[in-house]
Amino acid sequence: MNPKEFGGDSPWPTIFDAVGFGVILVDADARVLLWNGWLTRHCGVNAQSALGQSLAAVFGDGVSPSFLAGLRNALHYKLPVVLSNVLHLCPLPLYAQTPTSATALRMPHAITMTPMVVSPWGACCLIQVTDSSRAVSREKVLQRHSERLNREVMTDSLTRAFSRGFFDQFYQQEFALAQRQGTRLSLIMIDVDYFKNYNDAYGHPAGDQALIAVVKALTATLLRATDKLARYGGEEFVVILPDCAQYKALAIAEQLRVAVSALKWPHRQSGISDQLTISLGVSTLESCQTCSAAMLLGAADLALYAAKSQGRNCVHYRSPKDAPAPV
Amino acid sequence: MPITGAQLDALTEIFNIGAGRAASSLSDIVGDEVLLSVPRVEFYRASEIDANVLSLTSARLGSVQQKFKGPFDMAASLLFTEERALEIVQEMLGSQVQMEDLVEYEQEAMCEVGNIILNACLSAMADMLAISFESTLPEYSSGTPELVIGRIASDNANPMMLILHMNMCIEKRRSQGTLIFWLSSSSLQELMLHLDNFLARI
Repeated sequence: MNPKEFGGDSPWPTIFDAVGFGVILVDADARVLLWNGWLTRHCGVNAQSALGQSLAAVFGDGVSPSFLAGLRNALHYKLPVVLSNVLHLCPLPLYAQTPTSATALRMPHAITMTPMVVSPWGACCLIQVTDSSRAVSREKVLQRHSERLNREVMTDSLTRAFSRGFFDQFYQQEFALAQRQGTRLSLIMIDVDYFKNYNDAYGHPAGDQALIAVVKALTATLLRATDKLARYGGEEFVVILPDCAQYKALAIAEQLRVAVSALKWPHRQSGISDQLTISLGVSTLESCQTCSAAMLLGAADLALYAAKSQGRNCVHYRSPKDAPAPV
Repeated sequence: MPITGAQLDALTEIFNIGAGRAASSLSDIVGDEVLLSVPRVEFYRASEIDANVLSLTSARLGSVQQKFKGPFDMAASLLFTEERALEIVQEMLGSQVQMEDLVEYEQEAMCEVGNIILNACLSAMADMLAISFESTLPEYSSGTPELVIGRIASDNANPMMLILHMNMCIEKRRSQGTLIFWLSSSSLQELMLHLDNFLARI
């Protein structure tokens, strides 16, 4: 701010310097006519150094080409220009505090350029610079919250497998994709054998630990990023295997069964073993097969039922063709 | 008042030059090629206009308005529809926000995109017709098409409308936007006079 422009006793320099945003007035050649204290605080250049200089020279290399292009347009066409902090995060070298190092982070800001005619300078452009760092940081916090909530909705809170809600949505998407592209899709339904007995024998907290261990073993066995394990409910799990043929799905199911056996997790109330085991039902949508998502899921469920009724700790297969149509 | 084919052609050319300038500014900002063109310019009476005439049948619209003053006055509104133009804006911003929230959430960016397009069209007109304009700062509003269009069309002083159908293309995505200028009858006459002077010079 240059007090000389306003005469000795004018209150304007004091008021102008106290304003809570940056105010610059430039003439038709983009030379600085007014420069307030806010700018001095945030870019380290005081009014004495800035006044009479071209704005590009005052900010040096730190000014963005889009700011200079906007200013040229505002001055040439006398039309107002806005630079949002979304499309240009930091067009000017401004900092929360006057920077002490070249690597300091810039303060996000938004800019409004308003062409005007001001006596005695004639055609000018008023540049207002507002600090958007609070909006930007609030946005980041909300974004993080939103991502965390999304993750939580998609994840089962106990086992960290995907949730039933995620499965319902992802399965429909993958099924539609497989039908559109004529690719295969396999499902594996998994049930922990005699899990009610386990809870009765060891208590529910121990049951929770057993489920966590089972999910860890299952997840470690699934190697493709596209294969998703979800908790279907209680001690039931489901694996979606996109673009996976029947023989591969059966091989993966067998690996999953072995992985849980290999835990050697004691289960004294199991009807078939002294360790925790799982039963698995597999079904595959063959390429270009006519079938619904409910039929494929129903077939995998029937296969699981067969595995459980024929001794448990084993893998069974059912084709969706053999599944009854859903009611 | 009758509008000649030559006047419409001249306007289409002016706005295509403006669209080219806007595209170049937008390309610089987003670092991707943005293409803008104005295939068609039409005149209507404000009383004839509703969302159907403008093919803006989206649930919500975003609108950026600026009022221009010069040898003739125009109120300009750039209308973004949710499904079409917003998809492009989302692409530009790399925004993670759901499409249905974008008109509310990205107001500042939408305001700037609108400001770039409106200024580019008016500066092209100023250059070609050798005139100059002043303008208010861009203002953003959003709502149902009836509300947004109703709010602008209720300006009885400006019964004439000049409508630009604008094609936008970024990263192989194509979309349309609509730019509307609202003029009084006398401003329209003045615009036509300047167009005739321009046509006489070339």
